[in-house]
Amino acid sequence: MADHGLYKDILLRHYRHPHNRCDGEMKDADIVRRGANPRCGDEIEVGLYLDGEQLREVRFRGRGCSVCIASSSMMTEAVSGRPATDARHLCEDMREWFRQGDGEGLTAPPSDLQALSAVREYPARRRCVLLSWDALSDALDAV
Amino acid sequence: MTAVAQTIAAADGLDVGQIRRDFPLLQEATLARGLHYLDNAATTQKPRQVIDAVSTCYSEEYGPIHRALYPLGEAATARYEQSRQTLAAFLGAGSADQLVFTRSATEAINLVASGWALPRLGPGDRIWVSRMEHHANYLPWQRICQQRGAELRIIELDDAGRLDLAQTPELFTPRTRLIAVCQVSNVLGLENPVKRLCIEAHAQGIPVLVDAAQSVSHLPIDVADLGCDFLACSAHKMYGPAGIGLLYGRVERLAEMEPLLLGGGMVDEVGEGTAASRWAAVPACFEAGSPNLPGAAGFAAAARYLDGLDRARVRRHVAALTRTAAAALAGLPGLRLLGSPDAVAILAFTMDGVHPHDLAQLAGEQGVAIRAGHHCAQPLLRHLGLAATARASFGIYNDLDDVEALVAAIDSARHLFG
Repeated sequence: MADHGLYKDILLRHYRHPHNRCDGEMKDADIVRRGANPRCGDEIEVGLYLDGEQLREVRFRGRGCSVCIASSSMMTEAVSGRPATDARHLCEDMREWFRQGDGEGLTAPPSDLQALSAVREYPARRRCVLLSWDALSDALDAV
Repeated sequence: MTAVAQTIAAADGLDVGQIRRDFPLLQEATLARGLHYLDNAATTQKPRQVIDAVSTCYSEEYGPIHRALYPLGEAATARYEQSRQTLAAFLGAGSADQLVFTRSATEAINLVASGWALPRLGPGDRIWVSRMEHHANYLPWQRICQQRGAELRIIELDDAGRLDLAQTPELFTPRTRLIAVCQVSNVLGLENPVKRLCIEAHAQGIPVLVDAAQSVSHLPIDVADLGCDFLACSAHKMYGPAGIGLLYGRVERLAEMEPLLLGGGMVDEVGEGTAASRWAAVPACFEAGSPNLPGAAGFAAAARYLDGLDRARVRRHVAALTRTAAAALAGLPGLRLLGSPDAVAILAFTMDGVHPHDLAQLAGEQGVAIRAGHHCAQPLLRHLGLAATARASFGIYNDLDDVEALVAAIDSARHLFG
């Protein structure tokens, strides 16, 4: 079953042991934004810890399916320590990548995120991937 | 199938092998290879008899319904009205004129809400629905109650998930204008005591609407015996074509109901103002626009098909599968069944640590088609403290192989995510 279909090993690793996940409220975060998908009850909160225009750290909390949690975990890995502008570009790229279909002409996303590529074959799950990215994008609008 | 499974299947009286041969998709479709289709509460597959009825209608007797003065049009009209008669007999309605063709069960319920209930609803009046209703039997009532300053009240469920009528003393009181309940819940799979509800409601002069979307495929239904005022169902959940449903109504209720859609075919004489117009007789007055003849023909073919199998046997068959699946699933660590083992054909469940979407996705990758989500029953799911569940639902072409595949798939999901 491992590495089969949607459930790549990297995705399952992030799901079982998510990075930058908080249990409680992110009270000390500079900006917190929430994304929800009422159809499946998934809810993700993304917190930004800023250093000027730099995302010193990005964390998340919430509940969701494996794709949603893994994507959130990968997202925090991908953007922590980077300038807000880079994160905005990555958000755009992710949205394009999952909403446009073939992703032609797009810069390939960072390596771990490639594990989400299989989700593009499952339109019903795209929202699961993008939930945390949409919350990140909302948070970045407030930077 | 194992020898034991064959024995059990035979005891239940349905020849699943023969039935499966009637369903071209299950036999021939690329996407159906190795498929265990357990999403029958969402929609069912179609037997060749239904597909042929639709196809024959188009290839041999398609024409305008009503008022055509040539043989083809007359044949089309006859087919349409014969279909109505077949379905009236299928449901035990006294007359074919008590059946209105709609696009869906949803449309049938909306027709009663806006065409019958709304005009007789006032401030402080009550409409009762149950906690387990599908959104189709919830939102139309919610809206008309808001429009009229009436109250939408909920019959809550007891710990076993059954209607808690004992805790609902205000149900059968003069302020109640209508009770609208499903016969079988699309999540819990439980059958509600609709007949008893109708008897008690009628003793107080309260009409009852039955949402039969999930029951019509599995239970013998006799509207005269049930005593309901309205009953709604759709064809596509009972092996019939997509895009057609029906509303049954008692003669006096249909006579009280206002048409929702105005247009061709529903009016006898158009006056200077709406009040001066004379609507056509029931049921034509509720069927504005060109009727769905192929849909009606296929719907009737589905009714004949189910009658041919014997609906009491159908019920026993799906009940046996449901019981077996419930027992096997309940044995998996972390698995929580909603509803109960005596559910009718539908089992909703959750697995600790595995999101329902992951359960359904993994099952799907192993050829087991089940559903995940809130099943258009958010009031129920919220009440249960859940956002989503997985759901397996059985039909006439399912057997114990499907049950085994379901249990194996859910068990493998547990191992993958555990």
